Amino acid sequence: MTDVEPLAVTPALEAHALSLVREGSRVLDDVSFTVAPGEIYALLGGNGAGKSTTLLTFLGFLSPSGGSVQVNGREVGADVAAARGAIAYLPEAATLYGHLDAYENLAYFLDLAGRRVDRAALEAALDQVALPPEARGRRMQTYSKGMRQKTAIALALLRDTPILLLDEPTSGLDPVAIDEFHAMVKALAAAGRTVLMVTHDVYGACQVADRVGLLRGGRLVGSFEAGPQGRIDTETVHAAFAARGAS
Amino acid sequence: MSALLRETRFLLRDRGAVLWIALALLLSAAATGFGIVEVRDQRATIAMLLEEDARERKSALAGQEDWGGAAYAAFHLTYAPPSDLAFAALGQRDTAPWLHRVRILALEGQIHEADTRNADFGLIGRFDFAFMAATLAPLLLILLLHDLRSAERVAGRHDLLVATAGAARQVWLPRALVRFIGLSLGVMVPFWIGAGFEGTAPGKVVTGSALVIGALLIWWLLVELVARGKASPPVQLTGLVGLWIALALLVPATARALIEAHTPVPDGAEILMLQREAVNDAWDKPKAATMQPFLARYPEWQAWGAVDKPFAWKWYFAFQEVGDMQAEPLAKSWREGGLARDKAAGIAAFLSPASLVERGFERLAGTDSRATIAYEDRVRLFHAKLRAFHYPLLFREPPYDPLAFAKLPRYRPEP
Repeated sequence: MTDVEPLAVTPALEAHALSLVREGSRVLDDVSFTVAPGEIYALLGGNGAGKSTTLLTFLGFLSPSGGSVQVNGREVGADVAAARGAIAYLPEAATLYGHLDAYENLAYFLDLAGRRVDRAALEAALDQVALPPEARGRRMQTYSKGMRQKTAIALALLRDTPILLLDEPTSGLDPVAIDEFHAMVKALAAAGRTVLMVTHDVYGACQVADRVGLLRGGRLVGSFEAGPQGRIDTETVHAAFAARGAS
Repeated sequence: MSALLRETRFLLRDRGAVLWIALALLLSAAATGFGIVEVRDQRATIAMLLEEDARERKSALAGQEDWGGAAYAAFHLTYAPPSDLAFAALGQRDTAPWLHRVRILALEGQIHEADTRNADFGLIGRFDFAFMAATLAPLLLILLLHDLRSAERVAGRHDLLVATAGAARQVWLPRALVRFIGLSLGVMVPFWIGAGFEGTAPGKVVTGSALVIGALLIWWLLVELVARGKASPPVQLTGLVGLWIALALLVPATARALIEAHTPVPDGAEILMLQREAVNDAWDKPKAATMQPFLARYPEWQAWGAVDKPFAWKWYFAFQEVGDMQAEPLAKSWREGGLARDKAAGIAAFLSPASLVERGFERLAGTDSRATIAYEDRVRLFHAKLRAFHYPLLFREPPYDPLAFAKLPRYRPEP
């Protein structure tokens, strides 16, 4: 199944007939979808469905066995550095450096990305993700999983890239923090950022995404868009997810 | 530059890495310090013996009444002073004698009976800078660099780091380079300070530094080749330590065993025994058995070669020299065997960066086998001058005049 729609503008992200074979096993099979600038697209699927693998192809860590992946209209393989430069990536269970505090971690990774930000900008980003001020100067090895995830999200925000790739971004966050995160993602999209998130959280995906793609066994088996009320129907997606199995 | 500053700050927060670099600094400082203490001790010993040597010879000569007695009683100090780089590579100065007190008796025995001042310590080798830089520094480099990638993979940061940087080399190259520079400085700074104290020639310091850094670059390349694999940090560390054991320990030891088996060299004790037996046997042999071979070598003393008394100094010193002549083939074999082994070891060293650095330092410092052999040749040359001084007095037997000893040859070490 494909999810390619005619777009007036160049898609921020595009997978076209994407296939990937790893160690003799086909982990992605003819996957096609586009994500328009400013759109939030959620790839939903169970464990081993190929969600994270899809993200890694956009980052150039995995090369397609067939088809193509493009970032801002350019083949990723043709200029991996350019693709990565346009993307802030938040991996699943992002583990920043335990021996550094939040400020030092953010400064290190931002410097790695070629960005210099002042302390006020760091504070603003950490405020945005609601990391308690008293924790910010402590080594991250003392943080809870949720606090580490918030710091990683702050890093993704501070990267100030047009595209965000989020791998299970709400994993480890409490319900309040998840709601705050969804609101933040929507605000970023409203400001023009493109978001591709992969998750197995049906409810969360339907809450935040403009469109949801359902991956199963490496194939895109369903696509869902917001209805007239502006929301994707959770029941419908959940039924499709459950009916077709976790992967 | 920004990347190096970033990684320097990062390194300074990494206690493990800082610990390894601090250990390198400590070991290097200790090795350099031990070396300086040792060469200064050797210089002090030489200075003290030089004073003693002149005083004792004067005292020994004062009681003599004939040329033979004076030649017999006088000792002469020969020595090889440590070079300005010897503090960094004591080399053969641990196991081969660097000073002798010789008389104009048979020489080869005097050369080979001398021993190091601390032979037991010499057996295990001294902890000097060359050993530290050649053998221990690569191990520390392995500990610093082996898990740069794999530890990040285990921690789940690898893809985030690379994706954030844009390219893998922008993460790993500056990180590894900063650690390499940190370790190199830890190793080299004590050496540079030591060289300043010792007044080492700048050319030697530059060459020595280039040797160490060049060898560490080779080790970095080896670590890089292994670290690019996807194995876990313990597996990579095991592989690299295995490689270190092979290149720094097994290859030199195996090469040494093979070279020694392939190029037999007579033992110094064999030379000593042969020469002593030859000298001792001469007492019981007819005097002609001594004088014929002696006069064949020195036909200029033919006219004075007759020995018509039961004891004559010229006969006594002649059979000393004939003793040397009999030991000559063994001594030559010892010398040439040593040079052949050294040459073979030089070729084998290309299989081991550690051996290459140690040999390079010993060559620069003048503490290698060649330097030892050159020193022994210098002793032989000096001894020949002593004989050339005494033989006319012993054979022609002019009236005894102690003032003649003002012209006794003096040993001059290699400049």
